Amino acid sequence: MSSTPGTGGGEPAGARIRRHAVGFYRVLRANPLSFIGFVLVFLILVVALIVTVAPHVLVPYGPTQETGVYNSPPSWAHPFGTDGNSFDIYSNVMLALPLDVSIGVAVAGFSLILGGLLGLVAGYWDRPGTLGGVSSSAILRITDVFLAFPSLVLALAFVASLGPGLTEVILAIMLTWWPYYVRLVRGEVLAVKHLPYITAARAAGVRDGRIVIRHVLRNVLEPVVVYFTLDIGTVLVTFSTIAYVIPGGLPYPSSRPEWGAMLSYYQGSYLIGTYWWAITFPSIAIFVTVLSFSLLGDGLRDVLDPRTRRALAQSAITHEPPPESPVDKAGVAEPERVPSLPVSPSIEAGGPP
Amino acid sequence: MTEAVEPVVAIEHLSVDYTVGAGRFQAVSDVSLTIPPGRVVGIVGETGCGKSTLAQAIPRLLPEPPASIGSGKIIFRGTDLVPIPKSRLAMVRGTGIGVIFQEPLNSLNPAFRIYDQVAEAIQIRHWRETGVLRTFQPGPKPFDYSKRPLPTVADTLSKPFLPGGAVQEAAVRKLRTKADFRREVLEYLRLVRINDPETILDLYPHELSGGMRQRIMIAMALSEKPALLIADEPTSALDVTIQAQVLTLMKELIEEVHTSILFISHDLGVVAEIADDLGVMYAGRLVEFGPVARIFEHPRHPYTRSLLRSIPAIYKSDGQLASIPGSVPNLSRLPPGCRFNPRCSLAQDICRRDPPPPLRPIAGPGEDDVHRSACHFAESVEPVA
Repeated sequence: MSSTPGTGGGEPAGARIRRHAVGFYRVLRANPLSFIGFVLVFLILVVALIVTVAPHVLVPYGPTQETGVYNSPPSWAHPFGTDGNSFDIYSNVMLALPLDVSIGVAVAGFSLILGGLLGLVAGYWDRPGTLGGVSSSAILRITDVFLAFPSLVLALAFVASLGPGLTEVILAIMLTWWPYYVRLVRGEVLAVKHLPYITAARAAGVRDGRIVIRHVLRNVLEPVVVYFTLDIGTVLVTFSTIAYVIPGGLPYPSSRPEWGAMLSYYQGSYLIGTYWWAITFPSIAIFVTVLSFSLLGDGLRDVLDPRTRRALAQSAITHEPPPESPVDKAGVAEPERVPSLPVSPSIEAGGPP
Repeated sequence: MTEAVEPVVAIEHLSVDYTVGAGRFQAVSDVSLTIPPGRVVGIVGETGCGKSTLAQAIPRLLPEPPASIGSGKIIFRGTDLVPIPKSRLAMVRGTGIGVIFQEPLNSLNPAFRIYDQVAEAIQIRHWRETGVLRTFQPGPKPFDYSKRPLPTVADTLSKPFLPGGAVQEAAVRKLRTKADFRREVLEYLRLVRINDPETILDLYPHELSGGMRQRIMIAMALSEKPALLIADEPTSALDVTIQAQVLTLMKELIEEVHTSILFISHDLGVVAEIADDLGVMYAGRLVEFGPVARIFEHPRHPYTRSLLRSIPAIYKSDGQLASIPGSVPNLSRLPPGCRFNPRCSLAQDICRRDPPPPLRPIAGPGEDDVHRSACHFAESVEPVA
């Protein structure tokens, strides 16, 4: 998308942002599924914000407010029905949204930062016989210990030792989650750091710190951010699973409802055949939220990669002829208007091992 | 050429070892080489003969470990680069030795636009020039790598309380606007004969062809104003027409930019085109060195002769293409004596028993000592028919 060619460096900030925004929109349009993902995640975030700031706009009842209607199926007054305590299920599902989403983002974000940092260090400075080599193997052996157990089992063990409660469950998941990011980031760094452009930067006299931040991190970022986005959904499912599996792991009914705890509570006292709405709607809430983040992750992959970004942006323009490749006076014709560019060896080398 | 000219780089008895597992072998052994200013020195040899290791050893780019410089000196503008501790290498790199790599595909960072890449190289040079980055000072005074200069009390008192680096950096940033950078980036892109550099700035490396990328690599290397440019098979990954373009460009640049070039290649034709002097490597050793024309006309080492004979000739089709019998020896199991002896047609008992002589000047009709060979029987090598 060279609509503003030759503006490198000298381009005003406004134009640059606009150019990026237009490119972003075109990439989104090129892939309807990820577009849906973006819209859904945006909606989820808006709803979560409204529920947090002004709950009365969207939530008619309090979490433990008795409505006087017992075990009512979905109706206009109670869209998701009511339970045996006459609590409104729609209100509870909505009230749980900000908590569940922010737990997903916070746990995955914490893991991304801690695990990413450790992975970067372990991957870049790993020459045996040096200080870096020692710290690298120390980091990796510690992650090995964590990775030896399935994360859910390990998290359950942590909850069992920490005791039930919201903070404890979050802490347990955080403790088990970061090693995956160490592995992921380290693998990516290993693939990138021997590529000639890193050597070229070293040859130019760029220092290690700058190489790591500017050259390595930027090229590692794309798969990691995609993984992070997909991971938000996984964290959410794990969190709900722990809340579901451990009876009384999270209190429900409570002033702070949570989807997993709702499922756990209702599956004991309600049967799917008769009072199906009580567990159906919290399940759908989990499903939709996880799906949205997964679709978003797929879309991000396209947006973050400069190789696919421009190709997608061009293929989305139907009324405009593709810009002539001004580059190739050297004689090698570039493929024009391909929906996805052929994978160059640099991607193959930099991809997940 | 007079003796008074100080070489840009003088390599003296350089040996590079690799430690792999429990084994240890010498990829480069006892290579001595000088590169005078403004000259192009080509190095040819088969795969695995140590030419790339040599190229990367000079700017100390080899991963250490597994590689280590066993012995020797690399004297770059009066300073020996070998004893510099690893932590100080960033100060030296890029201050006078530019490197162009083999794979133009991977030599540019795929995540940045061309402008950012070239500008970074210029930025680093600029930081060095203005003293923001501590750097190696070439000149008569040898640089002391052992300790940082401590600021004097007067220095400390006269400076504001803000950290000196930050203030200086801010001042430098103010001095050089984005427009300045842009102008300089464009200048270098024009230098490597890119017709419309304005368009290139905004593109990503994957949107350029191999030849264009290699031009940009050359621009980046030149933007650091090197005294020596090391080109490690810069044209091997390009197809022949592009190869010719890049070679022409480099030949033109030698005239414009005063730089010496160390040109590594496995292609004798390419080297003949561009180099003034030619060094031939075999199994880690420099076996012959001399002016290109002289070597092509009358090689003084049987290996060089065999190499030249195996260049396919278009104009004659008499029989099979000549090739060298046998294969390159494994560096961990070298034959005794001369390393080329199992494949050599001139080999005698002395070759199988004793190490070959060091590079020695070949006496010829009215010759000085420029053409040197490391063969006992240099005089009996026949010219290439």
